[in-house]
This record gives sequence, C-alpha cells and structure tokens, in this order.
Amino acid sequence: MQEEHEIRRSYGLQTAGSKGVAGRKRYAMVIDLRKCIGCRSCMVACKAEFGIPLGVWRTWVKEGDKGSYPNTRRIFMPRLCNHCDYPVCVRNCPTQATFKHKDGFVLQRYNRCIGCRTCMVACPYNARHLIPAKRTDKNLPTMVVDKCTFCIHRVKKGLVPACVQACVGGARIFGDMNDPNSEVAKLASKETLTVLKPELGTSPSVSYIGGDWELMDEPHSYTNRSKYMKEEFNTFKRNHKGDAFGDIVEGEPTMPQVGQNMVGFLNTIPHKAKGVYDAFVNFLFK
Amino acid sequence: MDESTITYNVFHHVAWGTTISVYFWLVGASAGSFVISSFGWVFGIKRYKPLALTASITAIFMLMLVPILLIWDLGKPLRFLYLMLPGYWHATGPMSWGTALIFSYPIAMIIYTYFVFKNNPFWAKTIGIISIILALSTHWYTGVVMELNPGRFLNHTALAPLLFLTGAFISGIGLLILILWVQNMIVAIKNRIEWTLIEEMAQYMMYGLVFDAFLLFLDFMQTLYGSNSEVMGHEVVLMGIFRFPYLWLEMVIGLIVPFFILVTPLKKFKAGIILAALLVAVGVYGMRVWWVMGGQYLQTFY
Repeated sequence: MQEEHEIRRSYGLQTAGSKGVAGRKRYAMVIDLRKCIGCRSCMVACKAEFGIPLGVWRTWVKEGDKGSYPNTRRIFMPRLCNHCDYPVCVRNCPTQATFKHKDGFVLQRYNRCIGCRTCMVACPYNARHLIPAKRTDKNLPTMVVDKCTFCIHRVKKGLVPACVQACVGGARIFGDMNDPNSEVAKLASKETLTVLKPELGTSPSVSYIGGDWELMDEPHSYTNRSKYMKEEFNTFKRNHKGDAFGDIVEGEPTMPQVGQNMVGFLNTIPHKAKGVYDAFVNFLFK
Repeated sequence: MDESTITYNVFHHVAWGTTISVYFWLVGASAGSFVISSFGWVFGIKRYKPLALTASITAIFMLMLVPILLIWDLGKPLRFLYLMLPGYWHATGPMSWGTALIFSYPIAMIIYTYFVFKNNPFWAKTIGIISIILALSTHWYTGVVMELNPGRFLNHTALAPLLFLTGAFISGIGLLILILWVQNMIVAIKNRIEWTLIEEMAQYMMYGLVFDAFLLFLDFMQTLYGSNSEVMGHEVVLMGIFRFPYLWLEMVIGLIVPFFILVTPLKKFKAGIILAALLVAVGVYGMRVWWVMGGQYLQTFY
C-alpha cells in the first residue's frame, strides 16, 4: 500500500531509486550513535582504502559537547555520502559523470568528470570534494570530484565497506535494506531511525539511531561552534586559498578577499594550461 | 545549558566562487546591453537605432569573456567539450541547458550585429528576436543554475531568475551609459549619441531599480519569516559575513543612492547620471557575490 502511494521520481537519466522495489537491492547504512565512541577509525580506514589526499574527506566524525558539568556528554555523528535514492547531484551533473547504480550506490566516473563542481553545489550534505591538483601518486586522478562509493569494490566481493570493517564499537551497520533478513532491515523495523535533512526529499540510504538534533542541524553548526573551531575554520580557509575561489575568512573584509580569490583563480591558469598543452602533445605525438 | 557546542568537524570549500560571480555579472551586463540594442531594430523605436551597434558590440565583448572564465574554472578545462558531446550531455542538468545557451547566444548576437552593421532591417529584426530570447534565457539560466539546488536555501527561490534578469537590465544599461559617455568624448560631434537618449535610458534604469527593490523586499521577507536555515542565512550570511556586498554594495551603493540621484534634480546633471550608472553597475556585482558565495557559505560548516 505504501509503495503504491510513494512518488517515484527519476533524478536524471540514470536508474531510479530502489527503495522497497522487489528484486532490487538497496544497500544502506545504519549508524548507531549510541555505540559510536568517536575514535575516527572509520576516517583512517577510508583514507587508507582510497589514498584520500590531505584536506578532503569521504567520511568524517562530527563531534559536540552537550550540557555543562556535571551533567554533560560528548556526542558524535559520523558523516558520509548518503547515497540518496533521489540524488540531486546526479540530476544536476551536466556530463552524467555521477550516476545512481541499480543497487543504490551513487558513484562518480572520473573519466567523465569535468570538475565543474555542480554536484558539490547540489549536494545538501557536503559529501563531495574536489581532488587537489597535487597528488603524490601521479597516476591517480586530480581536479575531478570525488565521493564515498560505499566501497562498492568490497561489497561486490561480499565484504562490508572499509569504515564498517574498522568500526570498533560496531556502530556502523551495512546491508541490503530491501532484504528483510539483513541486519539493517531488522534494525530499521525495530529502532527509531532519523536521516539528515529529510525535508529535501532525497531519501538518504544512511540513517542514524539516537541522532542528536543539534549535531544534525545545519545553522546550529555555525552558531554553536567552539572558539577553537572558529580559529581552525579561518586557518583552513587561509591555507587552502586556490583550492576553491569562494572561501572567505570570517572577520576580515569581504571584498578584498573576493579580489584575492580572483587573483588565486588567475594563478591557476598557467598550471591548467600546461595540462591542456600536455594533453594536446599526448594526443598528437604519442 | 541544553545546547551543545560543536567541538570538531571538517570544513568544506565554497565550490563556486569569485569566478562564477564575475561570470554572472558579465552575462547580465551583456543581456542588459543587448536589450537596449534591440530597442531600435527589433521593437522599432527608431531613436535607439544609432546606439544599437555600440550596445551589441558591448554585449558581445562581455560575453566573449565568459567562456574564458568558465573553461579555466573547470578542474579539467579541456573537458568542456564533454558538455557538447551527445554521449555525455545530460538533459536534466541545468548546466547542460546553460551550455547550449552560452554557445548559441553569442553566435546569434554576432549575426544580428552583422545585419545591423549592414543596415538590413529584415534580417536584423528576425535574428534580433531570436537573439533577445537567447539573451534573456542565458541570464534566466544563471538564476536557475543556483536556484535548482534545494539544499542551498538562500538560492532556492523562484525569485532567482527574476532577480537576475532585473539586475541584468539595470547593470546592462548602467554599463552602456558609461560606454556611450566615453564614446561621445572620442567620436566626432555628428556621430555622438544624443544626451536626451541617455537620460531616457537612465529613466528605464530607475524603473528597473524600483522593481529590483521590490524583488529584494520579497526575498527579504521570505528569509525573515522562513525556515531556521533561511533566517540564519539572513542573519549570519547576509547581515554578517556578506554585509558589505549585500547591504552596502547592492542596497545602498547600487540601489538607494542611484535611485536618489535619478528622482531628484541631480539627474539633470550629466555627472549625476554617469555616477548613477556607475553605482548601479558596481552595485549589481555585490548581488552576484552574495548570491553565489553567500548561498553556499553556511553549509561549509555542516
């Protein structure tokens, strides 16, 4: 009955979401925040699995302090791509570089990505990043958008994603939500699950048990940052000028920074032009 | 204390920045100039014919800079070709529509300018109609490409294309007035554009300013009475980090001051109109800055 009334939307030219569709898999992750201890093993495992460069993350653990002494508690919320059933990033990508896999994965094709960052703007969850221009291994892609793959290469071999494997508290549970016998489906049927930004209608495949609204709320992340976080943010923005051209350091005049961003953009042109030249040389003479 | 303090998070970049805001401004100025150019040849207002060529050349020049910015802003510049290849083109992506528009609009405009130059009324009007549709669509797209991101609460409003088109109209006229003023100083007396015509354009600009103020008021009300994110976006982003481009550059410098000039006797002075045109053209850039970067700013903490 529920299925009949569910609005079926196809976001983009690729596969529509598989939520509750018989005969199809819908890989999903449930994160039990009661078990998360904030050790960040998942972040390390993900970095190691894919060789993620410095300054960007496919998964991370947000952290906050609740209350005041003696009634206080530290809370955590691991974040990653939500592998939405209706992904805005897929719909908005102009070159079909990102697509929805029939089993629920939202994946990125580096060879199609032009680095326009439309998907990054479209993603409501900050789950995407641009790979920096300089990487230690020259064979790995640069200046294209990257994201969590739900470790499809492992899942297709019957393994769980690296972050799930590494989770010491067993907080991350992974499986096929369409299979009633899977652990995630059982959890979904007996626990109260929440997702991030449900009002956007993206139907995320990552859900949380015991989520705290203050960590899940977007404006709260800004207004209730610690003093240390504010300084860290400005340091991040100052140190990464040139990776993006829209970063503004808080508390400093805006328009001079806009000018600096433009200079930063102009400075990247010779580097990019060399890439274009190399591509022509490779195409014509090699 | 019930509220929590966020003690750790990773930070994110604002994906579209200054380059995109400059591009939005250039496309707007181009579309606005082109609308003026079409007054004479498409809409049949004969007194505008003398400035059609200058206006359309300004529009072409503005638009020529756009691909340079956009292509070099890509992570992989050479792959801009993918945007036009059938196997890659993605019909649901707003940027795909934009690509079609950005490449077809200048071509139509160049053909139109050629017929204006050759003094061919039939073809100038025919191609002019197509060009003006493309001009408006190209700038409509710049509003839409930011609007169709439900997660960006400050951009996700149906007012976006209207705000952009109005900004385009006024900034295009502002820029054109400046160019015509310079042109009048250079060319021979017989080729000069009549000052009354420029005054009339300034009058159109004033109407545009009123409509722009109305749209900004609507947007202000939406953010003020909106969701938590919208209210915070207004308080933190527009009145906080982006206070200068939003409040001072757009509202005061680009709207209130030129409006004051254009409704008072100051408009009778040449310097008054030139100053108003300059302020409007600069002020609209303030809107482009907060629209592009401000909409993404708050989410970089999330």
